[in-house]
Amino acid sequence: MRVILETKKCSKPFLPIEAESIIPRNFLKGTDLTVYEGNKERALSELFWIFVEGTAVSPDKVEVVLKGDTSRVKRVGEYMDTGTIRIVGDIGMHCGNFMSGGLIEIGGNADAWLGREMLDGSIICRGNAGHYCASGYRGEKHGMKGGRVEVMGNAGDFCAEYLTGGEVYIHGSCGDMAGVEMKGGQLVIGGDATRPCGNMKDGTCMIFGTVHRMLPTFTKTGTQLLPDHKVAMEVYTGDVANRGKGTLMVSSRVPAR
Amino acid sequence: MIIKDVVCPFCGCLCDDLDVEVDGQKILKVQNGCALADATLTGSNRLPAPIRRTDAGWEETSYDDAIRDAADILLSADRPLLYGWSSTHGEAQSIGVHIAELIGGVIDNTSTVCHGPSILAIQEVGHPGCTLGQVKNRADVVVYWGCNPMVAHPRHMSRYTTFATGFFVPEAQRGREVIVVDTRRTESAEIADEFIRIERGGDYEVLSALRAIVQGKTSVLPREIAGVSREQLIRVAEICKKAKFGAIFFGLGLTMSPGKSKNVRNAIELTDELNRHTKFIISPLRGHSNVYGSNEVFTWISGYPYAVDFSRGIAFYNPGETTAVDILRRGECDAALIVASDPGAHLPHSAAAHLAKIPTILIDPHQTATTPLCRIQIPCTIAGIDAEGTAYRMDGVPLRYKKLIESSYPDDADLLRRIHDRIREVQGA
Amino acid sequence: MTELMVKNACVIDPLNRINTEMMDIAIRDGRIVESVSGNADVIDAKGCLTLPGGIDSHTHVCGTKVNFGRYMSPEDMRAGRTARSGKMHVTSGYYVPTTYGNSYRYSRMGYTTLLEGAMAPLEARHTHEEFTATPHQDMLANTLFDGNWSVMEAVQKGDVRRVAAIVAWTLTAVKGYSIKLTNPGGTEAWGWGEDVTSIHEQVPNFNVTPAEIITAMIAANEMLRLPHSVHLHCNNLGKPGNYRTTLETFDLVPDRNKERQSLYATHVQFHAYGGTTWRNINSKAEEIARSVNAKPQIVMDMGQIMFGRTMTMTADGPMEFKLYCLHHNKWSNHDVELETGSGIIPVLYSKKSLVNCVMWAIGLELALLTKNPYQCLLATDNPNGAPFVKYPEIIGLLMSKRYRDEEFATLHDGTGQRTAISSIDREMDWNEIAIMTRAGQAKALGITTQGKGHLGVGAEADVAIYPIRCRDVDPSTEYRKVVEGFQKTMYTIKRGRVIAREGEIIVEGANSTFWVNPSVPEEISVASDPEFVKKFEEYYTVRMSNYPVQDVYLPRGKCIRTEAVL
Repeated sequence: MRVILETKKCSKPFLPIEAESIIPRNFLKGTDLTVYEGNKERALSELFWIFVEGTAVSPDKVEVVLKGDTSRVKRVGEYMDTGTIRIVGDIGMHCGNFMSGGLIEIGGNADAWLGREMLDGSIICRGNAGHYCASGYRGEKHGMKGGRVEVMGNAGDFCAEYLTGGEVYIHGSCGDMAGVEMKGGQLVIGGDATRPCGNMKDGTCMIFGTVHRMLPTFTKTGTQLLPDHKVAMEVYTGDVANRGKGTLMVSSRVPAR
Repeated sequence: MIIKDVVCPFCGCLCDDLDVEVDGQKILKVQNGCALADATLTGSNRLPAPIRRTDAGWEETSYDDAIRDAADILLSADRPLLYGWSSTHGEAQSIGVHIAELIGGVIDNTSTVCHGPSILAIQEVGHPGCTLGQVKNRADVVVYWGCNPMVAHPRHMSRYTTFATGFFVPEAQRGREVIVVDTRRTESAEIADEFIRIERGGDYEVLSALRAIVQGKTSVLPREIAGVSREQLIRVAEICKKAKFGAIFFGLGLTMSPGKSKNVRNAIELTDELNRHTKFIISPLRGHSNVYGSNEVFTWISGYPYAVDFSRGIAFYNPGETTAVDILRRGECDAALIVASDPGAHLPHSAAAHLAKIPTILIDPHQTATTPLCRIQIPCTIAGIDAEGTAYRMDGVPLRYKKLIESSYPDDADLLRRIHDRIREVQGA
Repeated sequence: MTELMVKNACVIDPLNRINTEMMDIAIRDGRIVESVSGNADVIDAKGCLTLPGGIDSHTHVCGTKVNFGRYMSPEDMRAGRTARSGKMHVTSGYYVPTTYGNSYRYSRMGYTTLLEGAMAPLEARHTHEEFTATPHQDMLANTLFDGNWSVMEAVQKGDVRRVAAIVAWTLTAVKGYSIKLTNPGGTEAWGWGEDVTSIHEQVPNFNVTPAEIITAMIAANEMLRLPHSVHLHCNNLGKPGNYRTTLETFDLVPDRNKERQSLYATHVQFHAYGGTTWRNINSKAEEIARSVNAKPQIVMDMGQIMFGRTMTMTADGPMEFKLYCLHHNKWSNHDVELETGSGIIPVLYSKKSLVNCVMWAIGLELALLTKNPYQCLLATDNPNGAPFVKYPEIIGLLMSKRYRDEEFATLHDGTGQRTAISSIDREMDWNEIAIMTRAGQAKALGITTQGKGHLGVGAEADVAIYPIRCRDVDPSTEYRKVVEGFQKTMYTIKRGRVIAREGEIIVEGANSTFWVNPSVPEEISVASDPEFVKKFEEYYTVRMSNYPVQDVYLPRGKCIRTEAVL
């Protein structure tokens, strides 16, 4: 079953829309859902044109497609456990938070807190992701625990903060402090990063671009050749300031022979 | 007439030993206060009556009309923002939170441009602190990191640290070692025993390095970290470990430089580490006299210290999303109530400019940089001058502002109460 | 004049020796009266259990360190949140709820009076502000004196009258209710990062011992004729082997008062450990209970822990730091100049931890082994042991051996060797539970004369009606019904007004704060003593004239005046 939601023109386009009801499972019951525009509750049909193709018996067969100006639509896919969501353009904050299964695909850019506290499932963002991509929630001791977040473009600051499990793969570059507080899982950055892995306790981070301002409390333990990438990586352990035993691998300037 | 033991309503020091000479409705002279206290208490230029902007310019309006209009504006908004709060008393702040709750709006205070990052860090790792008298009576090592108290908190050192005599530190300055950490040699650095000059944005690295040194892992460090020599850091770590009681105070140098809350978190974790060796505390130098009060009041009512969003009927908190600066920059809000603060002067231009595009109500006694941005301004009393009420010092100690002079202005708590009641009345109908 | 009639109530009122009697309760203008007119509103209790409003004699709900606990825990705020609804404000927080959260949840459970476990005098204004925002319970403040410099100075000189004068001045100034000592002497040592490890150890720089402080304060308390006794959190909380400190402390306590205990020892579970390390810790509840059974001058409360996450927050700064070193959770500390300290850290009590299982057993053992239920009251040191919303489960456990056995079977299998809980058959009855949750508290706190804790004519009309028919429920086997029944009242009535109905709060509150104003002869009063004033102004960072809490902070304060007998 495919549900296509296309944004209507709004009288107040600047108002954020909170749409945590947009998860595949909910559409099995129909399209009679509500979303919030500012502090007002609205029917889904007030803000979106809704087209339904086909039927489904189980939620994993539900695909939701979002079209139009979705850059301010927040919380899409929150607590999603199965099914697919495809967003053609950009998406607002908190996309895929607490996700435990299924697939979210974003054609454009994702705003802050993409995949926050993810447990399982898969998120692919073809554009850039904002700050706190795949991070934890304030005050908790853990962040993302499982699943996979892949960003084809760049990510903002504090990417994968508190990463506890799962994989985060940023093809482009990250802003400041990617992997800060990480304690498990794997973070891979294809491009550059600044001050990565502060306070790291455990887990692995690999950076293929340039690291700006490497923190002083990481000790170099050796080099490793990565056959798949044909590149040599310098291997560090840290963050010593936090008695950490994480692994931070940084591409060496000398290409592997 | 001289009123003694007056609580100064300017900065987070909340000095309560001022002697103020008054004559009916005028403040004549201030003793014991610093220059900032003087300016605050003896300043004038208060807006005489509520004003409303029309196509033809400003016109005076009545309090009744202004209150009714304010309530109507807030009621019809889909995402109203209530911002400011730091210079008024707790009684007004409480009502502000209740208004936000009633209208499903967002309420935020000036922590958002000041010590919000400190609060975020505390929410990650806690706050090992104390009241200022503990520092005064015990501290033999005082660190000022990324702040310039000589200029911004002029009496901090004489009342609470360097120059104060304490029960266990009777020789005051001679019994204390002062360390200042900053990117340039400030006035505070001039009187320090040890000055650490850090490259801009290098605080996080230096704090990590200090943590490693305190743990005895010096060998892992390079010779220089963010422009600071390893040797100097080793020396400073030693001073700290050998202290009987150390106190770290910090300001915007940490909270507003790259890394923000992570800088503060690192400083707190350094303090935790030092506590394994000796007694150490850390505390933020809050700027406004009652910004900590707004954090306390917001918290016991809603659960969160700033940036609280009631649009979904529950209290929701997410700095970066529900903070005034972010909401204004994105042009998300469609009405604003500004109380006891000057966002026109203190918020980034891109954020403040939005206030002019929406109906903004300003409750403030003076004409400020925010006045040109608002549609209605309602003057009121000034807490600590012509209104009494509760304020919380930077260390959490609550004091009561005195009412020094009589005035014909309404207390902002009363104004807010009337706005609140009108909103309730309309909603009930 | 407002009249209310509660019909068909099955009343248990231990202080008036009423035990499951069917009766009608007549209420006029907030008090219980002989009868009311035909115009009275009527509530039909349908034969259900009706008790005086619940009283919590030791809970942390208001003030600096509680608010610290809230604002450093956004993850807890989000866990326990509720939306605005009707008369009810938004609430947040599960183990450290916001003030409205606390008030509504206590109301739902039928509680109408609370003693805030710890208030630092310097920060009293904050506590009183939060009291007003906890609108459906009358409040009392335990006022901290454990690290008070002028008290320690007077104790060192052996001048008990001076101690009394300082306490009198301070309680009046900050509108406190009673004397609280938390780790006496230890909180001052913590000002330097140290602690005291025995009641006979000297407090650094002050030349007094905890034993001397406790003894002098008990004497001063009785001199001032305060309604409550000294309220003590013993030294060495949480340390394996600390039961000896507790027994030694109990041995210090004279029997000075005919109406009530001379010492209220709080959350004694945390102070009843045998063994020498975490590896061999075991329960000494039996020894503690034996001591209390022989000493009518001591009342204690359980300090029960329940499994799950919660927040510890106490004035015992050094203890909180130790927890930080053990578990590395986020840790806050807040020492208060010249007075006391505090620490805050979240914890997780887990069934996988043998130590936690032993702790769980100890709390229950203390209650079950204490013969007189007036001497062991139900509390969790909220939130330190568990959030107060768990009280109904504790009631269930006390009333049912079967429930205890079922829980025991899920614990760490080493628990049996370290504790006696599985061999205790006693099951508390309804009357004993009523004592442990209201009558006993009222007596211990000295508020029965204020009309609290009982339903006799003249009492304040604080009434809780629970959906439990005592005759039809066998608590020994139907413990689930007991637990559910105590979780939500059919009605909670406070001062004659129905506050809660089926869990919904239906009115705005207007609570009162009880405080004491003990007067001492002018010649020993400290306010006019130049030495006292000089030291105050020199070492505090606030002026003495700005220290007292102004009347405006207690909109409906109830002042209890006493006259010192020196």
